[in-house]
Amino acid sequence: MPRSRGEDEASDKALAYSKFYGGKVGVSPKVPVRSLQDFSVWYTPGVAAVSKAIQANADMSFEYTGRWNTIAVISDGSRVLGLGDIGPEGALPVMEGKALIYNYLGGVNAYPLPVRAKDEAGLISVVRALEPSLGGVNLEDIESPKCFEVLDTLRAELTIPIWHDDQQGTAGVVLAGLFNSLELTGRKLRGSRIVLFGAGAANVAAARLLVEAGADPGDLVVLDSKGILYPEREDIDQLSLRNKWKYDLALTTNGRDISGGAKEALEGADVLIASAGVGPGLIKKEEVAGMNDRAVVFLLANPVPEMLPGDALAAGAEIVATGRSDFPNQVNNSLLFPAIFRGALDVRAKTITDATVIAAAKELAAFAKRKGLTPKRILPTMTDWEVYPTVAATVGESAIREGQARKKASREDLLRTATAVIGVARKTMDALRKGGIIPEPPGQG
Amino acid sequence: MAVPKVRKATMADVPAVADLVVRAKRLNNEFDPMFAVVADARERAKAYVSDSIKARHLLLVAAAGTKVVGVVRAELRERIFYSPERTGLITDFYILPEFRRRALGHDMLEQASSGLRRMGAQIIVAEVPSQNEIAVKFYTKRGFRSLVQHFAKSPQ
Repeated sequence: MPRSRGEDEASDKALAYSKFYGGKVGVSPKVPVRSLQDFSVWYTPGVAAVSKAIQANADMSFEYTGRWNTIAVISDGSRVLGLGDIGPEGALPVMEGKALIYNYLGGVNAYPLPVRAKDEAGLISVVRALEPSLGGVNLEDIESPKCFEVLDTLRAELTIPIWHDDQQGTAGVVLAGLFNSLELTGRKLRGSRIVLFGAGAANVAAARLLVEAGADPGDLVVLDSKGILYPEREDIDQLSLRNKWKYDLALTTNGRDISGGAKEALEGADVLIASAGVGPGLIKKEEVAGMNDRAVVFLLANPVPEMLPGDALAAGAEIVATGRSDFPNQVNNSLLFPAIFRGALDVRAKTITDATVIAAAKELAAFAKRKGLTPKRILPTMTDWEVYPTVAATVGESAIREGQARKKASREDLLRTATAVIGVARKTMDALRKGGIIPEPPGQG
Repeated sequence: MAVPKVRKATMADVPAVADLVVRAKRLNNEFDPMFAVVADARERAKAYVSDSIKARHLLLVAAAGTKVVGVVRAELRERIFYSPERTGLITDFYILPEFRRRALGHDMLEQASSGLRRMGAQIIVAEVPSQNEIAVKFYTKRGFRSLVQHFAKSPQ
């Protein structure tokens, strides 16, 4: 699949606009400065009283400062988009873009913060050191299996939500799309045979969430670049030492003891979730043709899916989803992460549990269902604005239920707060544009 | 999944046991390049295993039904200068991953130790790569302590 004219145009604009604006986000005041006298309140001497109150109770930092609504988007630049290890500086424009989405769709103050950290311990240490300033952390574009170790350690250790969007975000949206696909094709999660093609961040997290949501681990088959994972594979001891997450999948999934490649895995399968690498051609038409009737096929590699969606449909798939916006059924993390943090921050959550991700995925699925499900519309789109406060309220409720919230509120209040905070972000953008503070892009003014 | 039973290896087990021995050697290679496994390891392992049975070394397997899922091999060695003199040396110990984490290793070590004691061993010694922390933990947890360290380098 060659680059389209649209993609070329977007690249040209991205370069020109990035230079014109000199960055996508910045810090701007939230308080009035009527005269320099106000600094005696916002800064010294008045601010000392606020510091002392927080010193007495560190959780007050969520009430007296912007911590309640602040996250960092942290990357080591080791696996950025499809570009690979391009380093922290190279990752900065991507993290800025993510921060902008957080702000615009979720009302979250997000700092783009790529860091120079050479290994797991270095990255963990940086995030640990930043915890006091943040209400949460979005980890982004960190290579596998490093990302698993970093996420697991920080989730267990810190008392703010740590979210790795490439794992939990993608897996959450996959789950939402899958719930609706199963309903459309008359299936239940339990009993469906699901093939996970690729064993990187997204699919390892998807496998865990699928099982927690009710899938039978024996009905999952996971493939990596060497084929199907199973306990007696030649390299299994290597995996036990180098990638314990993949090793655990090899031991707990594949109840039928299937070995081989995509052909063997897909024979009689109901669902394919491919999150493996740039295609097309990684999965063949005849392999999808071996799946059960009314097959569900998710092809998530960007920018080019593992096989052409048209080929999957021609091979008999009933529902096909991709990561792209120019095909129906875009499995897009942006549907979830702004709402996840909106909800988590509104209750000052200490973590985002898998149960909360599953609850958010169900809400996302229910939202699409209310709008009407078809094989070409299994998920909401980013223009469905109401989805964000709705999912945020569910996230808040779930965090309270899970005992992870510092602050409790009713669903109505959560919905009201999320709607208001997201509304402020959108109104701010409108005001800044109308006031000429944010000018129109060059050539369009 | 059948519960594995520990028994003496027979000549019929040779191919399966050889496969497990090679897996163990490949695992060692994960810890140090000095354990690079030779290309014809499987053939050599078959001879090694059948020779061990013929020489009446200790060779126990864990079998789940007809499937061999674990092996422990040991032999007697004499120490010329130290007392106690007779050592039961565990040279190979491997269990397939799906049969780990269920005390089978403990059971096999117990049975191997008893067998070696009956053969006259006065101390039990196990050989593992220094970097294999899982094995080190396995033995230290069961009262073993590090006795000899091998230092290796390629000659200049």
